Amino acid sequence: MKKYFTVALAGNPNCGKTSIFNALTGSRQHVGNYPGVTVESKSGKFMLNDMEIKLIDLPGVYSLSSSSPEEDVVFQELMKKGIDLILNVVDSTIPQRSLYLTTQLAELHIPMMLVFNMSDDAEHKGLKFNIPKLEHYFGCPIVQTIGNKSGGVQKLLATLAKTLETLDSHGVPMLTYGADIDDAINAIADKIDALNIEKYQHIPARFFAIKLLEHDTSAMRLDEFKPVHDEVEKQIQHLKAKHAINQATTFMADRRYAMLSGACRDSISFTRERRQEISDKIDMVMTNKYFGLPLFFLIIYLTFWFTFVLADPLMGYIESGFGMLSDFVKSMWPESNMPYLRSLLTDGVIGGVGGVLVFLPNILFLFFAIAILEDSGYMARAAFVMDGIMRRFGLQGRSFVPLILGFGCTVPAIMATRCIESERDRTTTIMVLPLMSCGARLPIYALIIPAFFADNYQAFMMWLIYLIGVIVALIAARIMKSTIFSGEGEVYLMELPPYRMPTIKSLLLHMWDRGKMYVHKAGTIILATSIILYICNTWPEKEVFSKDYDAAIAQAESDLALTDSQIYLLETAGVLEQDSIAEIKKSRTLSEEDVAKLEENELSDIQKRIIASAQEYGDTVTKLENERQAEMMEYTISGRVGQALAPIFKPIGFDWKLTTASIGALAAKEVFVSQLGILYAEGETNEESVPLRQHLRENYTPLQGFCIMLFCLLSIPCLATLAIIKRELNSWKMPLIEAGGLFILAYITTLIVYQIGSLLQIGTKML
Amino acid sequence: MDVNRKCSCGCGSMSKSVREYHVGNGELTLADLPIGRSAKVAKLIPNLRSIKKFADIGIIAGTEMAMEAHAPFGGLLRVRFMGTSIALHRDDAENIILEPLESL
Repeated sequence: MKKYFTVALAGNPNCGKTSIFNALTGSRQHVGNYPGVTVESKSGKFMLNDMEIKLIDLPGVYSLSSSSPEEDVVFQELMKKGIDLILNVVDSTIPQRSLYLTTQLAELHIPMMLVFNMSDDAEHKGLKFNIPKLEHYFGCPIVQTIGNKSGGVQKLLATLAKTLETLDSHGVPMLTYGADIDDAINAIADKIDALNIEKYQHIPARFFAIKLLEHDTSAMRLDEFKPVHDEVEKQIQHLKAKHAINQATTFMADRRYAMLSGACRDSISFTRERRQEISDKIDMVMTNKYFGLPLFFLIIYLTFWFTFVLADPLMGYIESGFGMLSDFVKSMWPESNMPYLRSLLTDGVIGGVGGVLVFLPNILFLFFAIAILEDSGYMARAAFVMDGIMRRFGLQGRSFVPLILGFGCTVPAIMATRCIESERDRTTTIMVLPLMSCGARLPIYALIIPAFFADNYQAFMMWLIYLIGVIVALIAARIMKSTIFSGEGEVYLMELPPYRMPTIKSLLLHMWDRGKMYVHKAGTIILATSIILYICNTWPEKEVFSKDYDAAIAQAESDLALTDSQIYLLETAGVLEQDSIAEIKKSRTLSEEDVAKLEENELSDIQKRIIASAQEYGDTVTKLENERQAEMMEYTISGRVGQALAPIFKPIGFDWKLTTASIGALAAKEVFVSQLGILYAEGETNEESVPLRQHLRENYTPLQGFCIMLFCLLSIPCLATLAIIKRELNSWKMPLIEAGGLFILAYITTLIVYQIGSLLQIGTKML
Repeated sequence: MDVNRKCSCGCGSMSKSVREYHVGNGELTLADLPIGRSAKVAKLIPNLRSIKKFADIGIIAGTEMAMEAHAPFGGLLRVRFMGTSIALHRDDAENIILEPLESL
């Protein structure tokens, strides 16, 4: 007996197919994309008795034609040889519409098994099924299940095992389209049989005859059937003339539904009148013309709150975890032993990858929240209420949630665009998403705004920058939709499935599916860029400096360091702890805490002198070390590239330092601040550093400050964004166009602002 | 007749020359169906884009359609038929002709 079986899982969207797939395969899943399209492919393996079963989860479709990428995929997959069984999941609360797909699957004459899912809901609705009658009609076994409850799965597995064991004696469906159409089908099928096409031997000619008769593109475009096209047209003309059947594309649909309503009348009975369900009552409010939008905004706010507020403590743990890891490596690896590799590992790799993995809790929480919205059925409602507004900008309702998520991080936001069915709308949304100012740009604004703008303008500037991003994004979307993505949009037909309580298991699976990709990204692209950037920032090492810094530092030490007698004086004052004194003896200077402690009391003149001396010593050494670092930076690849490219950036008000920082910021926007900090020789800086702001004020005008923000806002947020665009759109061209397009947009916009600003003398005075 | 008309997505651009059919006066389309009322589909006008998609989902002559809601600011309608709610665009709904309503 056969041991390996391939089973295809097919069904409508929202029929509970995924939960059955998850229940059967557990975590042994393989998730990927079908080649060339963005439709997710999923398969998994499981053992049943002593049979190994490969389960392919086909995308949810309403019909087996080619009116969407999903339908295309299903058609292609089912045409392949080697499928032993089709497991067709049917939403038994809406049998008539769910079985429509079944009629088409049945024509393939691949053994089939029907799963009448959600039978508890159907019973609740008053539907009663005559299962033997339906089994006879579709020529296949039927099993009734209840969502993903284990009881239903046991029954499903038992029937599946029996079906697979008796595949040879599988029944054949008795579907007829009425004498007139059946005659036409047979005439075409005979012609197809005569062609004797090797490739499609395993599929009955009748299936293709039906597809051709309804002018289905999936079959019409197959070259093998070109010879019978004349016959098809003849039969259609004949049907039109003799039987007054008009539209070729829809009469098969008419007949299938007629056929089904006949079958359903025989075997399904309604015992109760339809009454208003809870789901409809919720929707009276949720999609209400007046309450719908405010409720939507409230829910989005809660999602944000969940993502950013609740995940915050976890981020702290991860951050300190990476800090500890780095310290641990440093303590295990003596500095004398290959110091360059040591700091590459700790500062470059652990620092770089850690910096990205810190956002993992955000990502997981965000996807958990999105999974709740999706699994409960709210996402479809959100798209419904937002569609009117978004459409004015050439987008659609489903674009809104990803755009909002873009304020957090562009990468998960791009992943969230998967809910947009229309390929053009999805591409447009992805292309404008980087313009929504993401969290990584915030440190830049937080550095620049307080440096150049008065307190009472700061909030306004922040708001202005975000607003510019949104406006540019909407304009860009509209321009794209009326140029490269122009033409009438795809038809919008969206089901609003009843609200369902999501199960924790499926929420976690959803969350992990996507979170995994983020981890993968950190392990590959971020790892690589961290190493490259670290090397660019540190290599080549400068050996000969403009002055002897070591000597200068030694000089400062002998001139300014605290003497033993000075330290003795501090010790006898009794203000400082014994530990601090020991520390002072080593460093020969005072820490800020020491100074603060001393200043708590009235200071004597001599103490004041000691403090002043210690502070001058500290300042001098820091200054010298920073100068040395700046000189080293100038000598590295980053510094050289910055200086070489400076002429290009001059018209937008950037000097070589800003240029270098912008290049570093290609990897991730946060890098801009730390790069600038290194260049202005303040050592490792974060946005809080006041001295860096001072440097900025001394070197740039407010106009330049604004231009920095504008440029950072409009250029690509990070390399990870490009990588995810490549992944989601399945092309190398799109991320390259995106990066180039955004650079040109950022450059031109900043150029205009800077030049006009300079001309009109707006903010051109140094502060 | 061929006319230029505004793009249906509301982007403001003029779409290519579109064939416009004028259906007889007084014919009720799905777009005109008041909220809370229902009526049977009489026919689909061939002008309907992706007509097969509508047929596949169950919008065929004889299907009973009930108007449930209109989306805020615009084009989407929410209709219920065959036990499910579907959102579709007003422009498309205009190409779905219903049988006349009995007056209340």
